[in-house]
Amino acid sequence: MSDVQRALQQQDLGLLAGARVMIVDDNRVNRHLLLALLERGGISQVEMAEDGNDALARMESFRPDLILLDLMMPNLDGFEMCRRLRADPRWADLPVLVQSSLSRAEDRARAFAAGATDYVTKPINAIELLSRVRIHLQNRALLSDLRMYRRRTEAELDLARKMQERLMPSADRLVESESATGVAIDAHFAPSSELGGDFWDFRRDGRGRLVVYLVDFSGHGVAAALNTFRLHAIVQRMDFDAFDPSEFLAAVNRRLCALLPNGQFATMLAGVVDPETDRFLYASAGSTRPMVWGPGEAEPTLCDSSGLPLGLLPSVTYETRSVALPPGGRLFLYSDAAIEIPVGPAGDDVLDEAGLADLIRGDLHEPDGRRFLDSLLPRLAAAGPIDDDLTALLVTRRSDAPPQPGPTPARRVAWRSE
Amino acid sequence: MDYGIDVKEQEAVVQLKGRLTFNDHAKLRALIREMLQNKAKRQVLDLSALEFVDSAGIGMLLIAREEMANVDKQLVLRAATGQVKRVLTVAQLNKIVAIED
Repeated sequence: MSDVQRALQQQDLGLLAGARVMIVDDNRVNRHLLLALLERGGISQVEMAEDGNDALARMESFRPDLILLDLMMPNLDGFEMCRRLRADPRWADLPVLVQSSLSRAEDRARAFAAGATDYVTKPINAIELLSRVRIHLQNRALLSDLRMYRRRTEAELDLARKMQERLMPSADRLVESESATGVAIDAHFAPSSELGGDFWDFRRDGRGRLVVYLVDFSGHGVAAALNTFRLHAIVQRMDFDAFDPSEFLAAVNRRLCALLPNGQFATMLAGVVDPETDRFLYASAGSTRPMVWGPGEAEPTLCDSSGLPLGLLPSVTYETRSVALPPGGRLFLYSDAAIEIPVGPAGDDVLDEAGLADLIRGDLHEPDGRRFLDSLLPRLAAAGPIDDDLTALLVTRRSDAPPQPGPTPARRVAWRSE
Repeated sequence: MDYGIDVKEQEAVVQLKGRLTFNDHAKLRALIREMLQNKAKRQVLDLSALEFVDSAGIGMLLIAREEMANVDKQLVLRAATGQVKRVLTVAQLNKIVAIED
């Protein structure tokens, strides 16, 4: 016998020794025959019931791992007992091995319809019965392992999702920033699964200007989400004294090139609202095209966002571009999910930038930024299925804003505790 | 995504059809293996019938580029249109992979 076989046999013995089996049969001789058989197979925790009612009454206290069920019994027969068992979610997938002298195909079919897992006919063949008991116990143990694994994974993903949400700016920070800079940010963040590869944040640079950035890591799910944590850590350590968009992207890119494996990358847009020149200065690494409009403008301007994504080539440089953003002006940033929604009769086209611009056109001057997003999101969902992380940011320069924000008082790190 | 491969003396031309997304990971892996096995130095991906590519799809194309480079082959992306062309352009992928019309 090989080591593997020995190990398997050992595991098997453990499985059988720990198993709880209930025998349900109205015939005393049969019950004891089955008991002896199970004991010979190494199963010692056995409960016996005389009919369906008796068995159901013992279920809660004995909690079997498997039931050996006779069909023809007085009071409550095996068919009906099986049906009642299956109606209870606790026993819905308990292995029920029917052992019966009924051998017609119709009887088997009836038993399976009532919820039986397997069927053997009397007279019982000891080896066959034990083999089947073993298989069903193994299946049950595997299933329970899988369930536990799944529950644990779900709990961990849920925790990770909460951690990721806390990585994004809090409502308090947004309010504080708005009163300091006169720039409001309304945000929507929705990962497509538990975790996403999108991330956004804002800062104030040494001159008190608002810096905002939006990142979208390739793919979604756990790997992409881990990358958002990496990026957060990288940005936390960067110098925001006099923010320069192109230098910022180049620096983040160099750091990411050293971290990301081949095939992973990120698109990113980083920019600063400059109240002195009334412009938004930004650099883009293959991000989506920002949309900008001023007060009274009927159309958003689609800005250039071309640039090599981050994490592909360490030596790449980025270009700082600029677009007018006067008081009352708005900037709309979004992840690519918003323009990759499949549309058209066959779903073979996508809602591109023009389609997205169509969706927001009527709300460009909606005074409440939150309402702008709340109006857009259902219309995006109605356009087609969104199967990627969706982030949307509306940046509004308040027209009644304090014109010249002073420099940031002192760098503060906000620690939030659980 | 579906593909057909046509190997000639100098170059192998792979026709990609449909949508290239995360779900095509296994298929693209198989395709890369085929591209590694044939003799041609130039491995051309003809994208004229590719309708859509997402970020995971771009990631897979970049993996293909690297795997070809590792064995001294060149990957060429040819004849992208529509959304695929827009994505390649905005990501300036011509900086790291050969792109032909």
